Amino acid sequence: MVTEATQQSELPKECESVMEEIFNRCAENAPNFGVRLDCFKESLQKTARKYLLNSPENVSTRELTDFLRQIQADDLFLALACSNGNERAWWEFDQNHRSYLERVARHLASTDIDAQEVVDTVYVELYGTRVVDGERVSKFSTYSGRGSLRGWLRTVIWHSLVDLHRASHDEVSLDEMTENVGEGFAHASFAETSLGGEDEMIEKIAKQRYKKATVSAIETAFANLDAHEKLLLLYYHVESMKLREIARMVESQNSPLRDWFQRKSPTREKNPESRIHESTIMRWLEKSYAKVLQLFRTELRAKHELREDEIEICMELATQDLASRNLYQNLTTT
Amino acid sequence: MEHTGKINSEELRIQGLLDRYLNRQAAANSLSAQENHLDEDSLTAFVEGNLSERESKPIVSHLVDCSFCRHVTTELVRLDLAFADTPAKVAVAEKQPSKVSEVLSGILSRIFGTSDEAVFAHQEEEKVEKKEIEKDQKE
Repeated sequence: MVTEATQQSELPKECESVMEEIFNRCAENAPNFGVRLDCFKESLQKTARKYLLNSPENVSTRELTDFLRQIQADDLFLALACSNGNERAWWEFDQNHRSYLERVARHLASTDIDAQEVVDTVYVELYGTRVVDGERVSKFSTYSGRGSLRGWLRTVIWHSLVDLHRASHDEVSLDEMTENVGEGFAHASFAETSLGGEDEMIEKIAKQRYKKATVSAIETAFANLDAHEKLLLLYYHVESMKLREIARMVESQNSPLRDWFQRKSPTREKNPESRIHESTIMRWLEKSYAKVLQLFRTELRAKHELREDEIEICMELATQDLASRNLYQNLTTT
Repeated sequence: MEHTGKINSEELRIQGLLDRYLNRQAAANSLSAQENHLDEDSLTAFVEGNLSERESKPIVSHLVDCSFCRHVTTELVRLDLAFADTPAKVAVAEKQPSKVSEVLSGILSRIFGTSDEAVFAHQEEEKVEKKEIEKDQKE
């Protein structure tokens, strides 16, 4: 077991040998990158310590070595070499990733000029023009290898575009800003429209004596869900993610949402590696709705002491002006 | 609640209520947006499903509360889908590696509208040295 003291200082010896083993493999793949073992180990140690800090319970040495082996080591090796300003690494990075970065930027930006500006800004940020304690700080030094380098670059591009947008629109709210970047733009009117409908609905419900109980019960029901269920519902209802998009997000077997929902499912043991289809996401949503409904009813009965017929009134109130999207309809359009 | 292919009216009602409740909450929360957002590393690892259960717990909780980061993850998934068929470009080995400073010089010129001399001062020194060598050779 890794003790609390270890979390602050040195990692177990087994980790050292795993780090060296990974380094040797990377150095063999890219001998011209000039990454030193100590630099590579320092990066891995930093990531491992962050992992330990986020772990309230003790972490076994085996778990820690497995964690290290999951790092995208070749991507990290390239990032470290670029961070150090290695010419060969930069050349490889430019060859392998520039066109992808440009395509992503063009996909997100409103004009080609914006896209080029974003790519340029990201390149400068990656190289690093800021000097701290006499050393140039490269954005690459923040990459830890937990995700792929390409995925990380995609995130960097996205953030850079948001920053550019923010710089050119001084008084833009956070939502407005993010809604105007990428596909979110297409959903910009969703929350506002719902808000109008909601206000109207609240006004109607306000006239009824069951309004307070209904709102309070749905609030409690949602609050009592597990974070994974909440997140799934938020993705679907607030972010307007399609079932296909959620399925893509949980494609990896290690996806937190997939792992959580499958652990709750009796079919997991039968086929743990099966692909996640949209119908599976739909089932997860259905289960979450069922839980919300159960909690909602329980809350109305227990806390507000409502009878079945009164609960029915609340249900009616809850669904007045029901113009929300239909789960099944969404499935057929994907 | 088993999926039967028919729309269960109670389920539909709770969907509608939940939909309106969540959107109202999201609109209200955006006014008091969190300041501490997830870094690019964590966002990428979450979207790619590269996090262990230990690591994902605080991230899932953060995403529930932070509409900004949740929106970023949504957009990243959409981007991932949009570029799913893009093959990774393989480096062409026959070309000579271009200097990183040369690549960045062009970029900096475009961004700042000036030459890169102020940023890459070391290059200036190199140029001066070269000129001096050439001068010596002529002499």
